[in-house]
Amino acid sequence: MTLTLVSFLLFVLKAFVVVMFAMNVAVILTWVDRRQGAMIQDRIGPNRAVAWIPTVVAQGIAVGPALAVVAGVGFVVLKLEPPPEELGQRAMLFSQLGILFTWLTGVVLAGKVQNRGVLNSFDAWLYSLGDPRRIFYAGLFAHFVALFVGLALNDSAFGGQVRAIGYGGGAGLLILSVLFGAVYAAYSIRNEPRIGLRLAGLLHPAADGLKTIFKEDFIPPNADRFLHSLAPFISFFPALVVMAVIPFGDTLCFTPDHGGLGQLLSSVPRGAVCTEGALRLQVVDLDVGLLYFFALAGTGIVGAALAGWASDNKYSLLGGVRAASQMVSYEVTMGLTLVGAVMVYGTLRVDKMIEWQSQNAWGIFVQPVAFFLFFTASVAESKRIPFDIPEGESEIVAGYFTEYAGMKFAMFFFAEYIAVVTSAGLMSALFLGGWDLPFLYRDGLHVTIGQTVLFEQALPHVVIVIVGALGFVLKTITLCWLQLMIRWTLPRFRYDQLMRLGWRKLLPASLANITATGLIVMTIVTGGPAVGAFMALLADYSKAFVALAGLGGFIYFVVFLVKPVHKRQTLSSSSAQYAAAAGGTRSARMSA
Amino acid sequence: MKNEPALALGPNKVTGTTVARPQRTASVQTYIPEIAKGLGITMKHFFQNTKEMVFGQRNDPNTEAIEDGINCVSYPEQKRPYPARSRGMHRLTQRDDGSPRCVACLCCSTACPAQCIHIEAGEYPEGDPRRGYERFPQRFVIDELRCIFCGFCVEACPCDAIRMDTGIHAAPYDSREQFIFEKDILMSFPGRDGSHLTANPRHEPGEGSHPGSDRERH
Repeated sequence: MTLTLVSFLLFVLKAFVVVMFAMNVAVILTWVDRRQGAMIQDRIGPNRAVAWIPTVVAQGIAVGPALAVVAGVGFVVLKLEPPPEELGQRAMLFSQLGILFTWLTGVVLAGKVQNRGVLNSFDAWLYSLGDPRRIFYAGLFAHFVALFVGLALNDSAFGGQVRAIGYGGGAGLLILSVLFGAVYAAYSIRNEPRIGLRLAGLLHPAADGLKTIFKEDFIPPNADRFLHSLAPFISFFPALVVMAVIPFGDTLCFTPDHGGLGQLLSSVPRGAVCTEGALRLQVVDLDVGLLYFFALAGTGIVGAALAGWASDNKYSLLGGVRAASQMVSYEVTMGLTLVGAVMVYGTLRVDKMIEWQSQNAWGIFVQPVAFFLFFTASVAESKRIPFDIPEGESEIVAGYFTEYAGMKFAMFFFAEYIAVVTSAGLMSALFLGGWDLPFLYRDGLHVTIGQTVLFEQALPHVVIVIVGALGFVLKTITLCWLQLMIRWTLPRFRYDQLMRLGWRKLLPASLANITATGLIVMTIVTGGPAVGAFMALLADYSKAFVALAGLGGFIYFVVFLVKPVHKRQTLSSSSAQYAAAAGGTRSARMSA
Repeated sequence: MKNEPALALGPNKVTGTTVARPQRTASVQTYIPEIAKGLGITMKHFFQNTKEMVFGQRNDPNTEAIEDGINCVSYPEQKRPYPARSRGMHRLTQRDDGSPRCVACLCCSTACPAQCIHIEAGEYPEGDPRRGYERFPQRFVIDELRCIFCGFCVEACPCDAIRMDTGIHAAPYDSREQFIFEKDILMSFPGRDGSHLTANPRHEPGEGSHPGSDRERH
């Protein structure tokens, strides 16, 4: 591939996107870790940092995006005349969106009124509707009514009128609800002298991060000054650049003019990958893919070991040695678990692996043991609880970064979280299908089990790619979150337990996995077409399982949210009686 | 756990129940089901607490604190009211006419172990019905920095004139002078119920209900 200006700029843009993704998610994870730890232990957690913004600016923040939405919808409705055959789809989309935003606005406002009390006649009306859940149920009912009316009457004599009503009415409802919610929010804060921006405590880690820049950069007198300063960079850099080989979306296809990238194609065929005018959503195309990951992940060890050695502190040295031995041990398991996956996928390129999973089944179904082992090993690689013996506060102060302060300490800290993000990204690419979503192919949605076609819907190319990229982000964040959850659940291993787990349990298990995988792959390859068809059917079932599990999880979550909470007041103490007489102390200004 | 028969041990025949040892079953030994259980518990707390926080359903830390969930008090935005018998700032209770109930008997300043109460007694003018029965505090000063909030003054007072039921705790000020509370400040504090009076009735000299010797009745 020749390096043109366009491809260079695209490379820079993709690298920027990936780095920003990893670093921002890492910053948010530092917050999530603390906030989540608090929530698990029935505490509130960090929420003190606040940025005071003038009321006018806050009102602008509320109304601005709403105006943008209104302008966008208005532009689509007034300027882009839909072709007649697409009017039905657009009518359905706009009517459902309009209903969604209407009940969403209603529920949020009603909940707000319930908590803060009635201020004006509109509040009184909203309060008179009763429980905000009623608005949600009404909205759900409206969704179904609109869906059935649209489906039933689309082909009837009234079809044209129904489509026009759905299109215009849905867009109008969308505009009205979004605008009303934003304007009402801006209106109800008009008398506040200033608005405290807390972002649910998200400013707290940002403030902590800023603080470290201004702190003293301490280097012990007898330390190796150069290596001591170099170590945080060495552990920070590999964690970040691993993201380069992980594709964050399907290949975007353009018409092959204007030096390769012309017009974005509106749709692409299901099977083929475009060869000309392809924009891979991945920073670099490396044939060695996974090996690059292992090479760089191995470099991370050097940072920790160097930090321990250069600090001139025996605790640091112990931490560095522990880090080196632990990471080397688990690197072995990490590599060997993926051998099975590589045997199945038949490639080292991460994008090809995702394509294989998209055509067949997700890696977690093909290599469940490997997923489990890899997950364990990558938690150990990131040196986090329960594998945080290199840090081991109760034994060796803070391990290899005992003698670090300020931003250099923050870089170690940050590298740990970036390692969480990158390992989650890699796991979602290798085992959870990356950007692949069940039944979503390059040309649209095809719900098929074996030869039975249940549902088909063609979708625009760009929509599919964006949804896939969002799916990748969602999977990555879920895996990050699972790692944090484990951190708050398990206690730290002892050093010998850690080594025993690595060498005597995970390593033999990964070897057994390779053997079993080899036997199964051989059986399938030599089994002939009948076995192939059976495996394809199983793959379809795995997709159906993922789709149903996702749907079930979503419904369970909604039910969980809607379920009422019953609390009993216990007014045994005089203190509680005073609090109850004052109308309770829950809804004080800062309750988040 | 099985219900073992109670054992009688030792010369005094102490009885007790046998507690079964934790079973090291296969699921415990493999560690993985236990990890899943632990994750389940942390996730339950996480989702429940996050939902209640976002939807404003979380416990009132003062009235629902026994329920499951987050019971943190975000001090100072939220406060736990002091219990009814907590000893807060002193106040001087008033009579119906707004004058202090204090009769300047110096019982409180005598009882005070920290010696933080200073009273200068004044005589009522000639012809006042109270003259000869009681005096009034010309100055009534409490040094709130010296006060140890023991409540002895309240117990010593025969007239229910000094109370510590304001529910206010000592405020931090800039200088020592600001902690010297004079009579007017002490009289300005209301009690927990918002009243400057007390529930106990006051019997003025000359009224029929006055229990002591009465000059007119001689």
